[in-house]
Amino acid sequence: MQKVFVDDLRKVLEHARSVSYAEIRYHSRLLNEIRISNGELERIRSVVNDGAGIRVLVDGCWGFSSTSETSNESLLDAMHAALSSAGLLSRGKQRKVSKLADAKLAVGTFKPVINGRLEDYSIEDKVKLVKDSEAYARRYSSKIKSASCVYRETIDHKIIVNSDGASAEIFDSKPEFSLTAVAAESGISVTASEGIGVTGGWKDLFASKSARDITKEAVQKAVKLLKAKQPKGERTNVILDPGMVGLISHEAIGHTVEADFVLSGSIVKDKIGQKVASDLITLVDSGPSQIQGFAAGTIFVDDEGVIAGRTAIIENGILSSFLHNRETAAILDVEPTGNARAFEYDDEPLIRMRNTYIEPKDYTLDEMIKETKHGYLIKGARNGQADANGEFMFGSQEAYLIDSGEIKQLCRGASISGQAFDVLMSVDAVGKDFKYDIGTGYCGKYQPMKVDGGGPHIRCTAIVGGLQ
Amino acid sequence: MLLETCSYAVKEALKQKADEAEAYASLERESEVFIENNDLKQVKSHKIGSIGIRVFVKNSLGFASVNSLEKNKVLDAVNKAIKIAQVSPKNKHNRLPEKNSVAMLKGIYDSNAEGFEPADATKFAIEMLKTAKSYDPRVSVDSGTFNSSILTHALCNSNKIELEEMISVFSWNIMGMAIDGSDVSNFDFQFNGTHSVKDIDVIATVEDFAKTVMKSLNARKIESLKGSMLLGPNAGYELIQSVLTFAINSNNVQKKISRFAKKIGKKVASNKLTVVDDATFTDGLAAESFDREGVSHKKNIIIDKGVLKRYIYNTYTAGKDRTKSTGNASGSTSSPPSVGSTNIIFERGNRDLDHLISEIKKGVMINRFSGNVNPVNGDFSGVVKGGHLIKNGSVVCPVKEVMVAGNVFDSLKNISGLSRERKKIFDSFLPYIAVEGISFTGG
Repeated sequence: MQKVFVDDLRKVLEHARSVSYAEIRYHSRLLNEIRISNGELERIRSVVNDGAGIRVLVDGCWGFSSTSETSNESLLDAMHAALSSAGLLSRGKQRKVSKLADAKLAVGTFKPVINGRLEDYSIEDKVKLVKDSEAYARRYSSKIKSASCVYRETIDHKIIVNSDGASAEIFDSKPEFSLTAVAAESGISVTASEGIGVTGGWKDLFASKSARDITKEAVQKAVKLLKAKQPKGERTNVILDPGMVGLISHEAIGHTVEADFVLSGSIVKDKIGQKVASDLITLVDSGPSQIQGFAAGTIFVDDEGVIAGRTAIIENGILSSFLHNRETAAILDVEPTGNARAFEYDDEPLIRMRNTYIEPKDYTLDEMIKETKHGYLIKGARNGQADANGEFMFGSQEAYLIDSGEIKQLCRGASISGQAFDVLMSVDAVGKDFKYDIGTGYCGKYQPMKVDGGGPHIRCTAIVGGLQ
Repeated sequence: MLLETCSYAVKEALKQKADEAEAYASLERESEVFIENNDLKQVKSHKIGSIGIRVFVKNSLGFASVNSLEKNKVLDAVNKAIKIAQVSPKNKHNRLPEKNSVAMLKGIYDSNAEGFEPADATKFAIEMLKTAKSYDPRVSVDSGTFNSSILTHALCNSNKIELEEMISVFSWNIMGMAIDGSDVSNFDFQFNGTHSVKDIDVIATVEDFAKTVMKSLNARKIESLKGSMLLGPNAGYELIQSVLTFAINSNNVQKKISRFAKKIGKKVASNKLTVVDDATFTDGLAAESFDREGVSHKKNIIIDKGVLKRYIYNTYTAGKDRTKSTGNASGSTSSPPSVGSTNIIFERGNRDLDHLISEIKKGVMINRFSGNVNPVNGDFSGVVKGGHLIKNGSVVCPVKEVMVAGNVFDSLKNISGLSRERKKIFDSFLPYIAVEGISFTGG
């Protein structure tokens, strides 16, 4: 494979004359994936996707081109294609990009902490782990009718150089493991899943729980849920687990504060400095993994070469920042937040989240439960959806009824809905625990993207639905 | 050139103890113009060559792919595929298709596409914006794209299959709403596409979009009702097409998650419904001569007058059911073949849309559906977008905050009519579909 160096890319960059900005992002990705369902290999693949994306800003217009060949000649061709693309817009575009905001640009080498390099574990070991886990799940109980296990890893190498001085070499490693089990008995069937995704190595993936523990948890949950009843639909007190907190923070709040959505008229567009949540809420989107290590959405530098820091979106209940790239930061006259991310080399950077979470405070889960006369403890985030106005509906795997300060029966398949900012306004207790728990997921916004989210347990008011 | 690379990969794999080998390669030249917030946003162009290599070693599968057609990188991928096959679980159904006769389609490649430049794509994007604005100043375009692509794909396997063809596709879409003071209509999404340069018609698509969003202004809340659901092509795609393609997929049938399991030859829908999966229908954007593993495409009748006729198969799932592939191996160069539908074509009804509406006593016409659809059991619930109340045979008013819930499999049986008008949505062709006995909850 042809080696690509920072200096080579810098030389190509010099050919971008009469531009207000130019950037070359070399990105080499190795994806390995194994999926086994019901004893059968459903998918196995090893995919190499290498190349460079070149973006230029000419006369206020963006042009983007990419190439899978990284020879000097191919890079120059791509540069010319990007320049001519930008030129095409100059007559038709109404609102030209007047400037890009100044930013802390990255220079140097950036690597996450990796314990157990993924390359040092053989494909054979990985296949065996998935095969054994899936077989164990089906053996565990006669009630388990089907199981599916997935291991996926992406190993990235990037070089980002731009005409404003960024010169960064970036390494990344993101493995994930998950197991889904379907239990059935007398005509009732339930699905449960458990998984983990991190930024780090093999040992980091299984540091908090082994593959066997994850498998057991999924299976035990599925079997237990067979006996669970449907909850009663009502607006009531709910205690959300860290996964649910992460999902709401990302999906229902986070998207509304992405500055591209803000500029097209998001519901929070005029609300900076205003109270949008309970005083107990500090909601953050961070590149580095704060509070706990190895979050799956971790980045140190974004794909415009901007240092990715910690951005408090809501601070003690007050809306304090949107999420920006350099273009939107210039329009709103603030500092860029390092949220420009591109999925692969042939994708242009868009405003995306990283690790989105609520910061912990002082409650224990026991205290929260004890104080609750009636409500539910909601566990296990599932997919759902949120509208641009913050209205959301998310599925959960387990809902435990709370009565007079005690956990009572387990209920199944509750969906939680409400308006995200109303729900955050209603928060009256925030736990002292903390966990990232949506690291096996991907966010979709024109391009897929690895993100994470989490928080402590929090207590609030929302609508608990019945069937899903 | 592409075929040569495939043939090289297969030969190398066989040299290295693969019992069977297949290489699928593609070369795509694409340009795309993005529209955002009533303005041009970006022009993007790229050229990508990639290859996926599938091998079987003693009935074990290995697969690797790389986005390059350079020999040394292709060889690396071959080696990796073999290495994976040496450690992956065995399966007796792992085999490649035999050589079969493939009739090459005409009308899916336009040689004029070669001279179609990003500048031409930009002109069409500008025309889209102009058309929307000149229709009515209240029309607001949230986003849109114009995309042109020339794809060459080639496949070669150790059973002597050698195929290559070119496909050109031009497609465009537009999404947005109408804004009149504080009144904001629901979003509408319109799409169209073609294989030939001369058939590009962005104006008609944008006018449809503009007309739809303008008609959705002044939406009113309504009382709850039970009556007819008239699904527009967009809503039909989200509700019916998505569940149907899941249920006819042999992989889902074999995994026992399809409601159509053991239903071949049985009635699953109203006798008004006939649906085919047909990659040889050249007007469709999924048209191609051969599938992801080199099996000839053909017209597959899925539902004939309400009776389920067949599932769709690739060679692997067909082997498990002791039947033949239906030519539905699908996927790109970066994954081993899966099972997927091609052009899904709903047969037109025998009445105009107006006639269909005139027969509805009470009901709601749905332009888009936003909510959850469970493809396993068919349950759906969500919000009606761009809906209109119909009473005594006429459209009364646009509606807002209306929830709809039901079951797709029940709905298939309760279809009371389909329109003569039909729209292309991605790879599907859908008419308006009227379904009886649906509950709507008003705000």
